[in-house]
Amino acid sequence: MDVLIQLMINGIMLGSMYAMISVGLTLIFGVIRVVNFAHGELLMIGMYAVYLLCNKLGLHPYVAAFPVIVLLFLTGVLIQRFIIQPLLDADEHIQIFATVGLSTALVNLDLMVFGADLYSVTSPDIRVTVKLGTYNVLVGQLVMLGAAIALVVGLHAFMHKTALGRAIRATAQNRNAALLMGVRVNQIYIITFGMGAACVGLASALVSPLFPATPTVGTYFVLTAFVVVVLGGMRSMYGAFWGAMIIGLVDSLSAYYIAPDLKEVVYFAIFILILIFKPTGLFGFGRGTE
Amino acid sequence: MKLVMRAAYAAGILATGLALSTGAVNAQTKIGALYPFSGGLALLGDESFRGLELATEERNAAGGVKGQPLQIVKGDAVDPNQAVGEARRLTSVDKVTVVFGTYSSSLSLAATQVTELAGVPYFELGAISDPITERGFKNLFRSNPTARDFAASMVDSIGDAIAPALGVDAKSLKVAIIHEDSLYGQTVAGYQTKRAQEKGVNVVETLPYSAKSVDLTPVILRLKSANVDVVLQTSYQNDTVLFFRQAKEQGFKPKAVMGAGGGYSLRETMEAVGAANMEGALNVDFTQYKTNVSAAPGITEFVAKYKAKYGIEPRSGHSLANYVGAKIFFDAMAAAKDFSAPAIRESVLKVDLPVGATASGWGAKFNEAGQNTRVSPFVMQWQGGELVTVFPAKAAVTKMKTGLGSN
Repeated sequence: MDVLIQLMINGIMLGSMYAMISVGLTLIFGVIRVVNFAHGELLMIGMYAVYLLCNKLGLHPYVAAFPVIVLLFLTGVLIQRFIIQPLLDADEHIQIFATVGLSTALVNLDLMVFGADLYSVTSPDIRVTVKLGTYNVLVGQLVMLGAAIALVVGLHAFMHKTALGRAIRATAQNRNAALLMGVRVNQIYIITFGMGAACVGLASALVSPLFPATPTVGTYFVLTAFVVVVLGGMRSMYGAFWGAMIIGLVDSLSAYYIAPDLKEVVYFAIFILILIFKPTGLFGFGRGTE
Repeated sequence: MKLVMRAAYAAGILATGLALSTGAVNAQTKIGALYPFSGGLALLGDESFRGLELATEERNAAGGVKGQPLQIVKGDAVDPNQAVGEARRLTSVDKVTVVFGTYSSSLSLAATQVTELAGVPYFELGAISDPITERGFKNLFRSNPTARDFAASMVDSIGDAIAPALGVDAKSLKVAIIHEDSLYGQTVAGYQTKRAQEKGVNVVETLPYSAKSVDLTPVILRLKSANVDVVLQTSYQNDTVLFFRQAKEQGFKPKAVMGAGGGYSLRETMEAVGAANMEGALNVDFTQYKTNVSAAPGITEFVAKYKAKYGIEPRSGHSLANYVGAKIFFDAMAAAKDFSAPAIRESVLKVDLPVGATASGWGAKFNEAGQNTRVSPFVMQWQGGELVTVFPAKAAVTKMKTGLGSN
């Protein structure tokens, strides 16, 4: 029983990490409809930036979050404006190739500049174990859970209560109709990509103390992020959050009760089952609503 | 105009004369060096090459092989496809006499097929996958220990070193084998399981996991639930860091943890985990530098030569392994009738060096498959942020500690 609860707590913490990383992808995939294979590399850029700010300039990782968010926002803007925008009307496969190419280029650029070693952010006060009763959890994990909830709630409110948020949702529903309504679609896309990347920036600041940075660190998260986004229903923030929680719990429980190397089999199987019975994802807005 | 033509003629004659004369005077033996010099494996590929380079320079300073200096021709093998291409270039365009390599098993497996077909001897100095020398090749020779040797060393040390240090019966220890699930981890773990069965070691859990794991807590909780005493891990860098961090966070304190090289041997891993957390972690790998010189004669001189040439301490034991292997094969080449493949094979099979005769502490006796049978990896331990050799006693610089973590 003890182990089960520890596993569930671990699963929730893992889920909140996936949620933070996937929220940005929900925006990009859900609104701009671009399969951004370079999403993991945005996380990698963020993690290296946090490492440099913390280990070379002595900032606390949570303080470093602010410049990194801005840096990633600008990166997202540049990617959308110069790589995706020219390809918006092209075949989807071309867009995918572009992002895959970007991903490979970024990984190898990082390998060239920083080498293959791993870089760990020094943050002794974040990796401290906190005892919830007899169960172990890290301070950094609790912060991540709090931040994930805040981010999801905040973004949801933004998308539904502000004019910009409505414009984004309109563009996501129907690009041409939004154009007709006077929405500057290209600008919306740029802002959305920037926001999506900025979310990843926040995630990287929170993940950095828990996980060392390597050139391929993005690849550990990106596939799961896509699963979370589709599972949650593509455009829904809450969907991404609950999808991430489900994946996190299944990951943790199946690794223990079945086998650590089979956990992906389990959560991909559940993913497929959910899509068979609810093709639009858990919260709607998936394939069925086009 | 006439002056220009005359000058051109003169230059032409001079150049031809020079070319002919240098051709005659500088007869060299070309040796190929096939390593990953770029890409993800570049760090240790380059480190491995440095061992070969040092051995070659040393040999040339002493007169070369059969009176001729050795000239290295580099081949960059980033991946198996390129390894094949470079091997072809080395053998058919550069026409090297022999090829040295390779650090990475998959690169070696690919490149050696080319050299075997071309009838060019291939000297493997650092890749550990056993199948490399199990294909019946006649011109392939390997000086370093294999995955099976690593696995045997790890399992045997439970009974020979860990149990005595803990003061318990080896059969009473609960052992777990955990490993990353690619070829490296599966190979070593497979041999460990077999050896454990032979030696009667009680393996209570075998857990493969992905090296790209984001979370190893379930693995650790399984080990905790089974009350595991000794963990044998085969892992790369990222999963090693994760394991140590999360084991501490979950309060899992086994009596001993042992790695099979990989992430366990790297300084960056220790720095990321923290010297205090990694205190006591055991590791089986190529000979590292804090080793008793009586078991590894020449090791101090090697480190001095390395520092003199490259300005830093050796980055890993790979350079030493390549240096030792290259020297063994240079001697074999010198003793051979000529540089033809059958003559080299005959000479290599005659090599007979006892254990403890080389700077890495290995001996040299090659079986029919070309594999050196006198190699047994030492056991090292992280103590005070340094990787020191603790077993066998002859190679040890200090006593083995028990337990994991000094905090």
